[in-house]
Amino acid sequence: MLRVCGLTMRYPDGKVALADFDLSIEAGELVVVLGGNGSGKTTLLRCISRMLSPTAGEVWLNDTNLAALSGERLRQARLPLAMIWQHASLVRRRSVLSNVAAGALGRYGGLWTALGGLPTVERRVAYDYLGAVGLAALAGQRAGTLSGGQAQRVAIARALAQRPQVLLADEPVASLDPEAADDIMRLLRHLATHEHLAVLCVLHQVELAYAYADRVVGIRDGRIAFDRPWAELPRDAVRQLYLNEAA
Amino acid sequence: MSLDAAAPQLAERSWTEAFRSALRLMLALALVAIVVQAAIVVRARPQDLITGAYGMADIIRRAMPPDFGKIDMVWWPALETIDLGIFGTLGGIIMALPLAVLAAANLTPSRFLYYTARGVIGFARAVPDLVWALLFVTAVGLGPFPGALALSVHSIGMLGRLFAETIEHMDMAPIDALTLTGARRIQVFSHGAIPSILPSFVGIALYRLDENIRSSLVLGFVGAGGIGFELLSAMSLFQYQLVSLLLIVTFVIVIAAQRLSALLRARLG
Repeated sequence: MLRVCGLTMRYPDGKVALADFDLSIEAGELVVVLGGNGSGKTTLLRCISRMLSPTAGEVWLNDTNLAALSGERLRQARLPLAMIWQHASLVRRRSVLSNVAAGALGRYGGLWTALGGLPTVERRVAYDYLGAVGLAALAGQRAGTLSGGQAQRVAIARALAQRPQVLLADEPVASLDPEAADDIMRLLRHLATHEHLAVLCVLHQVELAYAYADRVVGIRDGRIAFDRPWAELPRDAVRQLYLNEAA
Repeated sequence: MSLDAAAPQLAERSWTEAFRSALRLMLALALVAIVVQAAIVVRARPQDLITGAYGMADIIRRAMPPDFGKIDMVWWPALETIDLGIFGTLGGIIMALPLAVLAAANLTPSRFLYYTARGVIGFARAVPDLVWALLFVTAVGLGPFPGALALSVHSIGMLGRLFAETIEHMDMAPIDALTLTGARRIQVFSHGAIPSILPSFVGIALYRLDENIRSSLVLGFVGAGGIGFELLSAMSLFQYQLVSLLLIVTFVIVIAAQRLSALLRARLG
């Protein structure tokens, strides 16, 4: 479903953030990426989503190489790929329901949505997605009034409104308390298992990776350190990722 | 430290102190020179204040009591003045909005459009509204319409600049998030940017409305309608009691606009 081949990202200052990176992920899989600060985790997600243009390599989403596209063709091809962030990045002055329904905007053209309107059908569907993340009761509330955990759930509902096949999550629990973090990871696990989404999640919490991931990818200095099912992953290998950072 | 050892340091410090004192004296002299040259250039004559006070007292005496009998004549120019401010502000908003998007570094589609928009905004601001009014009076004739046009164009300067700064300081995270959902540029702007910046925009526009209503009073002096035009006519005809009535109405309009604008902005905050 999502395949990354030889992905390389070199910044203008010469720093290599990703080097010849290979990764693949199938529908129904939850893959966690672990690595120290500055190891290239976020750059990986940004290159896959094409927020950054990789220096070299390919990003295959089904049969389309996103790395070779730009402009309107990239926008169209990227529609099955959704992303959630460390901070929920909601429009604080809009209602929770409007924030979720906005996830569907990419499928609509026309004057109504260009002027700030939302299709009625998407509002109804958005309500269902809010129900799926357990927040239907807050649909009419302003997004700016939500707690961190609630806001992250709304961001996930917005991503679902996009009807994605692949969900990228960049440290989605970094600013949450342990209970809320566990809730979010359980939700991502549920989406992978029951909605057959391919979920690629960057985390710092090793215990959450062990608890929820099908596979764990270790990244060090922009290169793959390991890529294994969690059951086969020795704890020492993970510790090594962070020890190197401390050294 | 002995006194002998400290002597070179003390000598150096006294030189530094002397230098600083001389510098302060030179700055003070320069300041006096600037004030004196300004007084010479404007031909300031303090004795005229005394003789002028008699003239002013005479005008005030002749202006009292205000001629409230002519209040019916004042309603229409007063409404014209308020509407000049409203039209000028609305026109300014309509023209400033697209320019502000182009002039905001984080949303502009190209550097060329960025500098062009900044240039237009800067030019509209640099030319005073009175000069714009003179130009429009020449172009479209006397009356409130050229005044409204002048206020619209001049408002682009302030509105465009403040709108662009508001856009530049907005939180970009929701914009990036919406962009990645596949929303088109215009959808990202209307669904992500507008809701975030609208309260600030309304506050800026209300402040400008207050400014424009005050400016519209002066524009009448160059034939652009409103109370200013009536004020000029009454002064030319030595109708000082009407002048005082017009000044009272002006005062009420300005204070009311100021209070209303402040009230609405406070509610938005």
